[in-house]
Amino acid sequence: MGDLVDSMLDLMRRLPPTHVEENVASLVAMCPDYADDLLGSVDQPLKVMTDRATGKEYLACDYNRDGDSYRSPWSNEYDPPLEDGTVPSPKLRKLEIAANEVFDTYREMYYEGGVSSVFLWDLDDGGFAGVVLLKKVMTPQAPGEPSGAWDSIHVFEAAERGRQAHYKLTSTIMLQMVDRSISTRSSKDEPVKSKVGADKTEQNDAKRDGEATLSGSMTRQTEQDFQLQDQSSHITNTGKMIEEMEIKMRNLLQEVYFGKTRDVVFDLRSLDDLEKARRQRELQKELVGFIKR
Amino acid sequence: MDSAERIEAASKFLLQSPPGEINDVLNDVRNIISDDDSLQAGVLPALREYNTTQFTTADVPGHQHQSIVSEAARISSSREDAGEEESLDRYWDPRSRTSFRFDHLSLETSDPEHVEPDEESEPFRAALETASLAYLQAHYHDGVVSVFPTQGSSSRFIIQIVANKYNPNNYWSGRWRSEYTIDTSAKTLEGKILVNVHYYEQGNVQLSTTHSVSLTLPPAITSSGGASSASKALALIEDEEGKYQTSLNDAYAEMSEKTFKGLRRALPMTRSKLDWDRVMGYKLGAELTNSKNAFGAA
Repeated sequence: MGDLVDSMLDLMRRLPPTHVEENVASLVAMCPDYADDLLGSVDQPLKVMTDRATGKEYLACDYNRDGDSYRSPWSNEYDPPLEDGTVPSPKLRKLEIAANEVFDTYREMYYEGGVSSVFLWDLDDGGFAGVVLLKKVMTPQAPGEPSGAWDSIHVFEAAERGRQAHYKLTSTIMLQMVDRSISTRSSKDEPVKSKVGADKTEQNDAKRDGEATLSGSMTRQTEQDFQLQDQSSHITNTGKMIEEMEIKMRNLLQEVYFGKTRDVVFDLRSLDDLEKARRQRELQKELVGFIKR
Repeated sequence: MDSAERIEAASKFLLQSPPGEINDVLNDVRNIISDDDSLQAGVLPALREYNTTQFTTADVPGHQHQSIVSEAARISSSREDAGEEESLDRYWDPRSRTSFRFDHLSLETSDPEHVEPDEESEPFRAALETASLAYLQAHYHDGVVSVFPTQGSSSRFIIQIVANKYNPNNYWSGRWRSEYTIDTSAKTLEGKILVNVHYYEQGNVQLSTTHSVSLTLPPAITSSGGASSASKALALIEDEEGKYQTSLNDAYAEMSEKTFKGLRRALPMTRSKLDWDRVMGYKLGAELTNSKNAFGAA
């Protein structure tokens, strides 16, 4: 019944991104038989875990989950511990360790903070797949300060073809920003005074409160061939692809978040007086008609 | 999950519907629940709550304009034979003095009846309505406004505004709602503005804002003040909404300049992309490979 999964995915595409976790949990409770389909196709904000062995932070998602445990890319251990948790083959684990080191540098260069994790797994056809995760959270230092969170999930498949490799990349970026400065900002020009002055300046005791939240996710896919010199080429190849994709998607997010959604607001309500503009146009028409005569 | 819990979960989904997408959400939910009988009866309270809180607009039977279906518009039926549904789903449009039945699923109106307004409050309500309609024309591209009296008070009025734009072909929709309660004896104006935007082309991005304001009315605004008082009240609202829209614009700038840039840089400090081969070689060249033609020219 792919139909049902389609409906669940369509629903997740419409409901507020700020409630994705509880809505996915509801759907899983409603249709437990489809839990795996749903959890595998709906991206949820990444959880930050701490590696018990190294003390380093890593990210948890469906790709490093086995049962209720998550594998750390640093120690290769599951938390809570698992006797027979799935781990990559020794050869792939070697590549995974290197990838985590390199993407940690990438994270520092672009995010200047946050957490990154790379997980790889063997595929049945001899190739392998992986996921590169990046997360950064900004918490407000003061009540009026903005806050936000960025989650990148890059899933790729690598297929070796002699001295070449073919890569398929699916990237999702979840971005959320909250601004609470509206209330503080708009009352700046009207300092709060005692009620005595109320009849002189009419709005001096105005109270305002509110916030604006921009949240959501966007997904894009791409495929590319690269030269393969040795195993480490997989890291530089996927690295270049992911960097390119993040640059493209950052521009796209900027356009949609700050351009498109804002345009819709100004399409609903106009700051300028539309009636005045209409009258102006009428007047202009009349004048043109008058001159022509 | 038993049937009642499934309906409750479905109701929660419906209440989260983005502007103009309640039918899409309802279709998805129908498919997921796959029990039309229990669904239809079960989700009616959610549909009613969605329509009344989202200021759903209805065609007023026998008139050319639309009015807002909300709690403020609900009429308690005086007819003895009226059932529970009847009294729950009857609303009125003070502008045309018409009450009607509203179907929360089909959004259709029927069974119009004349309503005689309260003599004492009607003159100022009508004045507020005229001023509100003029304000709507001036600042909304495609909006609906309704002005309601409140029960038990001839000095308290509720102004509700809604503007919708749905563009499913380009995967976006938006809704602006505002509500003002004006009390000429308590001399207060309480308002709230709620904006929702959904953009869903290869993604799901939503703007959701809340804003509330409460201020004191200048003494010049009185219930007996007629058209002049009413337009003063609407001037206050125009000023407030203008200020809010400007500050929302500033919030956009702040989120773009501070939050977005703070989360992820456009390029590293070096202003150039990563030299992957170099990072690779520098970080762990020795560890990963046993030399030979390892890392190219670097």
